[in-house]
Amino acid sequence: MTPVDAQLLADLQLWYAREARLLDERRYDLWLEMVDVGVRYQVPTRYLTAQGDVGDFGAWTVERELTQAADVFLIDDDYAGIRTRIERLQSGMAWAEMPPSITRRIVGNVEPGEVREDGGIEVFSALMAFKSRGPRERSFLTAQRRDLLGRSDGGFRLRRRTVIIDDTVLMGENLSIIL
Amino acid sequence: MNACVDLIERSVAPDASWIRPDIFADEALYGLEQERIFGRCWLLLGHESQLPEPGSFFRTHMGEEPILVTRTLEGEVRAFLNLCRHRGAQLCHEDRGVAKSFNCRYHGWAYACDGKLLAAPGEKQLYYGELDKEEWGLVRVARVESYKGLVFGNFDPDAEPLADYLGNMAWYLDILLDRRAGGTELLGVQRWRIPANWKVVAENHVGDEYHVGFTHGSQLPRPIESRAAPIPMAREIRPELGHGIGVDVIPEDISPGERGGFDEEVNEYLRSIAGEMKERLGEMRPRLFPIHGLVFPTLGMIPILNSIRVIHPIGPGEVELWSYCMVDRDAPQKVKDILVQRSIAAFGPAGAFEQDDSANWTGVTRNTVGHQARKHRLNLSMGLGHEGEVPGLPGEVGLTASDINQRGFYLRWVREMTGESA
Repeated sequence: MTPVDAQLLADLQLWYAREARLLDERRYDLWLEMVDVGVRYQVPTRYLTAQGDVGDFGAWTVERELTQAADVFLIDDDYAGIRTRIERLQSGMAWAEMPPSITRRIVGNVEPGEVREDGGIEVFSALMAFKSRGPRERSFLTAQRRDLLGRSDGGFRLRRRTVIIDDTVLMGENLSIIL
Repeated sequence: MNACVDLIERSVAPDASWIRPDIFADEALYGLEQERIFGRCWLLLGHESQLPEPGSFFRTHMGEEPILVTRTLEGEVRAFLNLCRHRGAQLCHEDRGVAKSFNCRYHGWAYACDGKLLAAPGEKQLYYGELDKEEWGLVRVARVESYKGLVFGNFDPDAEPLADYLGNMAWYLDILLDRRAGGTELLGVQRWRIPANWKVVAENHVGDEYHVGFTHGSQLPRPIESRAAPIPMAREIRPELGHGIGVDVIPEDISPGERGGFDEEVNEYLRSIAGEMKERLGEMRPRLFPIHGLVFPTLGMIPILNSIRVIHPIGPGEVELWSYCMVDRDAPQKVKDILVQRSIAAFGPAGAFEQDDSANWTGVTRNTVGHQARKHRLNLSMGLGHEGEVPGLPGEVGLTASDINQRGFYLRWVREMTGESA
């Protein structure tokens, strides 16, 4: 096991806390500054499927459950797609978010992964996202985030995010918030 | 039963120019729908492309019934209630896959892909060899038929053939399903729950061009006053009672690609298949651009964005929407990728259009359950008495936005609900 870089872990935890706060506060202008223009933001569909052979420990994977080649994602955005999503939220006619949902994102289990040659770092984390539109419209989901963060100006920028929702059927009417 | 019929007659005008939301909220009507709508109509199970090899299977629903669809080792598509004949346990628990047989996890009864009971543990010692395996195969969906790749099921053994059920709607479906020799394939599926009555969702698919200008305001040029012309409204067409489609007739001087606002790669693809389309569909249909539609009761379509969906009811107040992307099977991968990306950016749970649709469907359903709200009439009168015909287009036509298709949907619903039991 590689030794923990305590400073890196602290920096990442702070970055994720700030990111969650900016999204919950709907400060999309500041949040976008945390996102690389080359970003890919994907939310796969997920299926209940058979796993590997009996006793083949390594083959019983989450990957088998996710969007395959001839398949679709729930979200597959590039930077322009994300910008369009935010512009829509603030168009004054995005009724699913008018008035805006009250949200809380809690990010934990922050686990640095591989550091790439260009300084990019893979980070796994767990997300709990709560959304309320009043007492009759509340939804809650949990997910894994698999991120690739690039380094810039001494900080991090989101270069890739895959959000693996812990459900096969999405509950809660729609996916109107950024995960 | 009579109470249901009374309620139906009180709640839908004879010409369906109004309805009362009782028909969304009433529990007894919902129960009757399971018998008379979902027990007798042709329902989409999926697409042949989802069963690529012998043993391929997927799970779905017909109404509230759990369904297992398989391709047998002989290559035939079959559908069954997804339950073991022994004690009723759920047989298949995976959403999709390939299997040689299905073993019940409760006591181990095993079934072949064609539904035959292969074996039951202890057949000789415990059942004394007296278990009639022919009799205890899986319960088959009485009828399974395909239309150009789309696979439908019907619980009613006496149902009319699928082609008759589709009627003139097939002429329009061919624009999507039969424009290329290789046909289509379904990709996906996105699945999500919406707390809305299934008819609220269905009526929005069958017709309702009208909502586009407001519900989808976030996706249209702003401000509204600055739009040079009214939003172009598709012709609403009622090919048969209950089915409906909204179709743009593309003028001669613009290409289908320009009408769709596609990327250049897609336009180039559309140009490359123009000859084939004309050969297969004739002169007129390649110039028809289907926008939205519904095959009664629950097969919704947004062809302009390559979405096909099934509205699965889950009680009177909830649906599970299953949305697939449908593309030409022989289109280049790059074109498929672009079309899929466009589709999910607009439709599906995170789509810029459908998020707002789902908010409206939820609002209608939630706000009409009250004793007061559910007894007041809601208006479906747009274009009543102004239906027409367009030479060459089968069916009745609303010449612009019109509630013609929603009226057809509810008239069909009344017919099915008050008809004699099969």
